[in-house]
Amino acid sequence: ISHVLVCNVTQRVSFWFVVTDPSKNHTLPAVEVQSAIRMNRNRINSAFFLNDQTLEFLKIPSTLAPPSDPSVPIWIIIFGVIFCIVIVAVMLLILSGIRQRRRMSKGPTEVDDSEDKCENTITIENGIPCDPLDTKGGHINDAFLTEDERLTPL
Amino acid sequence: MEKARPLWANPLQFVFACISYAVGLGNVWRFPYLCQMYGGGLASVVVSFFLSTYYNIINAWAFWYLFHSFQDPLPWSVCPLNGNRTGYNEECETASSTQYFWYRKTLNIAPSIQDSGGVQWEQALCLILAWLVVYLCILRGTESTGKVVYFTALLPYCVLVIYLVRGLTLHGATNGLAYMFTPKLEQLANPKAWINAATQIFFSLGLGFGSLIAFASYNQPSTNCQKHAIIVSLVNSSTSIFASIVTFSIYGFKATFNYESCLNKVILLLTNSFDLEDGFLTASNLEQVKGYLASAFPSRYSEVLPQMKNCSLESELATAVQGTGLSFIVYTEAIKNMAASQLWSVLYFFMLLMLGIGSMLGNTAAILTPLTDSKLISSHLPKEAISGLVCLVNCAIGLVFTTEAGNYWFDIFNDYAATLPLLLIVLVEIIAVCYVFGLRRFESDLKAMTGRTLNWYWKAMWAGVSPLLIISLFVFYLSDYILTGTLQYQAWDASQGQLVTKDYPLYALAVIGLLVAASTMCIPLVALGTFIVRCLKRGDTAPMA
Repeated sequence: ISHVLVCNVTQRVSFWFVVTDPSKNHTLPAVEVQSAIRMNRNRINSAFFLNDQTLEFLKIPSTLAPPSDPSVPIWIIIFGVIFCIVIVAVMLLILSGIRQRRRMSKGPTEVDDSEDKCENTITIENGIPCDPLDTKGGHINDAFLTEDERLTPL
Repeated sequence: MEKARPLWANPLQFVFACISYAVGLGNVWRFPYLCQMYGGGLASVVVSFFLSTYYNIINAWAFWYLFHSFQDPLPWSVCPLNGNRTGYNEECETASSTQYFWYRKTLNIAPSIQDSGGVQWEQALCLILAWLVVYLCILRGTESTGKVVYFTALLPYCVLVIYLVRGLTLHGATNGLAYMFTPKLEQLANPKAWINAATQIFFSLGLGFGSLIAFASYNQPSTNCQKHAIIVSLVNSSTSIFASIVTFSIYGFKATFNYESCLNKVILLLTNSFDLEDGFLTASNLEQVKGYLASAFPSRYSEVLPQMKNCSLESELATAVQGTGLSFIVYTEAIKNMAASQLWSVLYFFMLLMLGIGSMLGNTAAILTPLTDSKLISSHLPKEAISGLVCLVNCAIGLVFTTEAGNYWFDIFNDYAATLPLLLIVLVEIIAVCYVFGLRRFESDLKAMTGRTLNWYWKAMWAGVSPLLIISLFVFYLSDYILTGTLQYQAWDASQGQLVTKDYPLYALAVIGLLVAASTMCIPLVALGTFIVRCLKRGDTAPMA
């Protein structure tokens, strides 16, 4: 550090400095020094274990690191996943609802068919047809006396 | 064979549905709950329709933030860079990074309500997703809604408990709690505070929307509705207090953090200007040193003075942001400073989603129940198609709120679609049940259904206190509207980085008037209609008798 002169040292860790050119014996212009520092900012920072926030060069704004921009924004990926899940779930529910309704509309007609089949098949035992127990309609069982006969009408 | 009316699988599902619907985005006060038997009127359906149109955009915003929470760093914690990468974006610098993310990245808000701009495709996508999720939940009616509400009612509580533990252990939480529990006596004397509290709980419990009636219509007739009424009200109010404790501890953390960073900025500025020793200035001796510097170097001090901000913990605690911005700006600002902020952000917005969807289920139930109950419509279309149509129509109308000026229209709907008509609807409901239908008949019906007599407290409330309270609220609101003259709204100014007040244009005022009139006029119109129909019928039957 033979060609760097430090002056105006204060209590706070701050100072002014100029860089001299020994061959031409004058100080280098500020613009050159500034562009040099700008190019080597990282090296100077790491030499002192500091960063742009803790080591400030007045009049040299630090070029900030650009934020990492992935080609596809992350939120679209997550959105796409959730969107597909919801659509699949909706489709499943609608289809199962349609299937249930089709089964229900087919159901009563199937039950009717089986009842008709029962009527057509007459049980035959020993060659004599037996009357199947007619569960569809209510039939009066003649074995029981009806109430009308018990009470003598006036 | 006639299909039996679908029922809740067990009474717990009904209670959870009501809690999930009632515990929404904002609870404050208590109000007695009315147990109703007949279906909600046309006015309730109209209000519910308006509500469901604009409410789901909040869920869309919650989805947007939720999807953006999976990044490191969180997008609202850092400002984007400006053109030549030497500094941060100008708008972001003047406002804060969270405000910038909300107003610019999320809403892309226009400077005033007149510049409507185009539909933001990102927001539109999120809105469509939100409606798909709602459709998924209401697709099968109470069968599916009943299962979903277990989730939407309980999960927010789990998240709130986790947040309570985290919030109370944050640095500066005690400041927020102290602020919450010290009453500001001059505010308590202001009637406007009480009015706002009353309307807030009105809206919170969801009275007058027909949603609670719709939910209750799927109950067994013998359900003990008195007990449920008390449970839902108590749960709603205690949730409010619980959520306030969580919120204010987070506020305290945010306010303390901002206060300390403000102090640090002042310290840095002074250290730089006066070349003081590093570490010489601390928060404790700041005032002393400022006084010394002001006397020792007056000229340089007066140069620096305009750049020095006056840091005050009180003002940080008192920053109240308007409307929905509260949950999206203030909370995100607190979350970005916590450790493992992605996790907390995901949890928070997931909870917000659960709350919002729970409330949306109630709103759509209020619209769908009369539609599915009417023979005319349900004979032509299956249940799934009716729900799908309702969701589609609401989604299409909701796209208005995704435009650049959409947030201003949202505020219009939020402020005017629900306040006055709600009061009127509930007032009419109380008077109809107590005086037209007859409190004694209602009481005997209730006894026949539930087997329990009505407590005198309910009778006194319904017949006397509640109608008086509602009438006074109504009168106060009307007088407030009339006295303030032209209505105003808060518009975001990008150059200043803050909200400015502007007047509504004429067509916006017309929309406001239409909103309020549409729901309030329904009641007298329907009454007039039924009266005319009955008169005509009596005119037909009279000569036959």
